[in-house]
Amino acid sequence: MPTNYDELTPGFEFPPVEYRLEEGIVADYVAVVGVEQTGHVPPLAVAARAIASLGELMILPPGTIHASQEFEFHGLVSPGDGISCVAKVIRKVSRGPIRMLTLEMRITNESGALIQVGRSAIVLPGA
Amino acid sequence: MTLREGLMLPELVKEITQADINRYAEASGDYNPIHIDEAFAAGTPLKGTIAHGMLVLAFVSEMLARTFGDAWDESGRLFVKFKSPTRPGDTVTVSGQIDALSAESDIVLATCSVVCRNQADEVLVSGEARVRIPDRL
Repeated sequence: MPTNYDELTPGFEFPPVEYRLEEGIVADYVAVVGVEQTGHVPPLAVAARAIASLGELMILPPGTIHASQEFEFHGLVSPGDGISCVAKVIRKVSRGPIRMLTLEMRITNESGALIQVGRSAIVLPGA
Repeated sequence: MTLREGLMLPELVKEITQADINRYAEASGDYNPIHIDEAFAAGTPLKGTIAHGMLVLAFVSEMLARTFGDAWDESGRLFVKFKSPTRPGDTVTVSGQIDALSAESDIVLATCSVVCRNQADEVLVSGEARVRIPDRL
């Protein structure tokens, strides 16, 4: 069941989301972004899918925008690999009309090895 | 390429259209209307659609991958702030330079500043990247 901003507190951990980076998904990403093709999935393609998967977990109001982003890459992902992403609320700010969230996403492969950590600060439109 | 402090990274220049943004929404699964719904976006404080931040960061990552190869994709660190929105019609220039190189046992740690500007020289994104480069590179 997706969660909304008001229900979130720092430390809240969402259930894991699992997905497979099929070759077609990777090829579409590479074509759109215009990056050079390598034997592995561009790390930002992995991250983009993880961030989009948040939409399955929480209701973000239309107009939510990115304020900052941090990544740590720990390993390569091959097309067709299965990925698991666990997101956690690191920080929540509600001050007047300002509503911000910082979320941390830890992405692991099918062997459980950590491949990427991302931290996204997002600004939600004013109430 | 011989890495050294002060080395400018190979610049990337990308033109962003609304069609690119729409295609990125499809490829990434991010359908936030601030990116793809022109009528909705016109009614927000941004007064129009903006590119996904992750689309612009993909260009930053590409510049770093072209410089550092798989070392970037395997061990990169990136921290950026989004300073201004990237809009359809913008020409984005991605640039950077190596600010510091330090040796740690069998690797070299490169610290780089990165920035994206539009055609009006406005800063869209700025931040820092770090990459651990094996001595063999």
